[in-house]
Amino acid sequence: MSAERSKRGASQWAVAWRRFRRNKSGLVGSSIVVFFVLVAVFGPFLSPYPARSYLPLYEGDAGTSPSFKHPFGVEDSGIDVFSETIQSTKNDLYVGLAATIITTLIGVAVGALAGYFKGIVSDVLLGVTQIFFVIPVLLLILLFARVFATFVFHGWGLTLIVLILAFFGWSSIAFIVRGETLKLKEMEFIQAARSLGAGSYRLLFRHIVPNILSPVIVVATLNIAGFILTEVVVSFLGFGDANTSTWGLLLNEGFPFVRTSWWVSVFPGLAVVFCVLGFNLMGDGLSDALNPRLRE
Amino acid sequence: MSERILEISNLRTYFFTEAGVVKALDGMSLEVYKGQAVGLVGESGSGKSVTAQSVLRIVPRPGRIVDGSIRFDGEDLLSKSEGDMRKLRGPKMAIVFQDPTTSLNPVYTVEKQLTDILTLHKDLTKEEASKRALALLERVGIPEPEQRLKAYPHELSGGMKQRIAIARALSCEPVLLFADEPTTNLDVTIQAQVLELLKQLQKELNMTMIMITHDMGIIADMTERVTVLYAGKVMEVADTVTLFKSPKHPYTEALMKAVPSVKQTRALEVIPGNIPNLIEPPVGCVFHPRCKYAKDVCMKQEPALEKVTEGHYAACHFWRELKLEGRA
Repeated sequence: MSAERSKRGASQWAVAWRRFRRNKSGLVGSSIVVFFVLVAVFGPFLSPYPARSYLPLYEGDAGTSPSFKHPFGVEDSGIDVFSETIQSTKNDLYVGLAATIITTLIGVAVGALAGYFKGIVSDVLLGVTQIFFVIPVLLLILLFARVFATFVFHGWGLTLIVLILAFFGWSSIAFIVRGETLKLKEMEFIQAARSLGAGSYRLLFRHIVPNILSPVIVVATLNIAGFILTEVVVSFLGFGDANTSTWGLLLNEGFPFVRTSWWVSVFPGLAVVFCVLGFNLMGDGLSDALNPRLRE
Repeated sequence: MSERILEISNLRTYFFTEAGVVKALDGMSLEVYKGQAVGLVGESGSGKSVTAQSVLRIVPRPGRIVDGSIRFDGEDLLSKSEGDMRKLRGPKMAIVFQDPTTSLNPVYTVEKQLTDILTLHKDLTKEEASKRALALLERVGIPEPEQRLKAYPHELSGGMKQRIAIARALSCEPVLLFADEPTTNLDVTIQAQVLELLKQLQKELNMTMIMITHDMGIIADMTERVTVLYAGKVMEVADTVTLFKSPKHPYTEALMKAVPSVKQTRALEVIPGNIPNLIEPPVGCVFHPRCKYAKDVCMKQEPALEKVTEGHYAACHFWRELKLEGRA
């Protein structure tokens, strides 16, 4: 060991970061993600028109193809597609991130408990996961979205969609965490911590869960893409919130006119493709970087 | 003789597996006096590690202590609640495991591994705990301890990791330390260093140590008394010197013959066969299928642990008749 070694040792995160930096597709993915995040944060200030604004209609530009004034063209109804695509970014990222955060928290807690304490929690979790595997979840999401938006949570907008996605989306993380917990709890360092007086919750949340973070981060990153995509589907099918700008809503509005006004569908469609691609590439890169079996 | 710190009697720890009930410990007894270094010797599967797990009450599922008693420092451990046991683990008793690579948590620095235990049991601030961690590293002979505190386990060598595992086990100054094959996964030169360290610490801290090993060499070097275990039962108990000079159980003799020696010119004698299936252990003496002196009675009747001389016990029908070879 050389004397120049940094004072702080190479934590698994430092090692992972070093490996991630060498991964081209991972870097491309994270650059795309950074780009979308910047658009989400600063886009609303830079976009030429406000969200869901019909102003171009009064300017006589309704239905025009892409031009200098309207780079992505204008909907027949008069909405500027460029502005709307930008305005949608923050909403779509919000859905992806919020649903991921909720599902990750629930998934880690449920999975860890189910893996550590065998019994009812574990059985229920397995049952629920298997049910989610076999039933067409999308149909239920659509049903819930329509029913709740109409009757119970009227006016909750995208947050309702987030909650529904989260409700149906936590089991994959829980399943992974449960498996990892089952594996880790037999490891000697867990027994060592136990032999020195650590109790169940300390073992679980201070010794086991930190060891599971790598796969959780990877799956969570991939989940962001998944949730964004599902939200696009829900909105495209007309089950989303019609008052909030999303790429899916644009696709929904553009679909009837795709032969004449192709630009209404193509640009938000590209935004979806690149955004999802970005998160997926980043997730794959992280997966390689965080894989403990690939030591340099 | 000083006070008795640990007294295990007739302990039965069974594992309830799908294949059947594995009798890992089947009527095991052990007495340890304060400040002693005691050896538990036997092959893999003889119940050495399960003994330590039973005393600490950390027997992994599906294992369970089904019978017997464990008295530690005058208290009955088996009637204690899990919460009370937790307070004993660390400050009263601790264990050093076999493989330092897997017994340290890979995501924490050395400092965190040590301070975690310290703050759990002692009312220390973070700074005080860090100071103690540093002192512990110095104590177990780690060079450049300040830097090592910030290191992660994967950056350290096996010997260094085992020193840290020892430091962690000693962090709350336990009265009783189990060393569960602490050198099996280290290379030979490091083995000697780690054993020397354990010996020295045991003396300095006046700690009671139970050395679990299959290596008769380590037993000779480290311990004052030995219990020879086979298939979850005690075969022989004696002072280390007595055991080596005049073993009274064929299994003890066989274990000693299986150790190579520098002067040895004959071929190494191995013990034929394997440790028996503990779901259905042999009837009679558990060792009879592998014993070269076995007679009819050995297959029918289980020998009792009989007193040979004061402090020397053997569980063999023929300990009086057999002329067993020791090793000086």
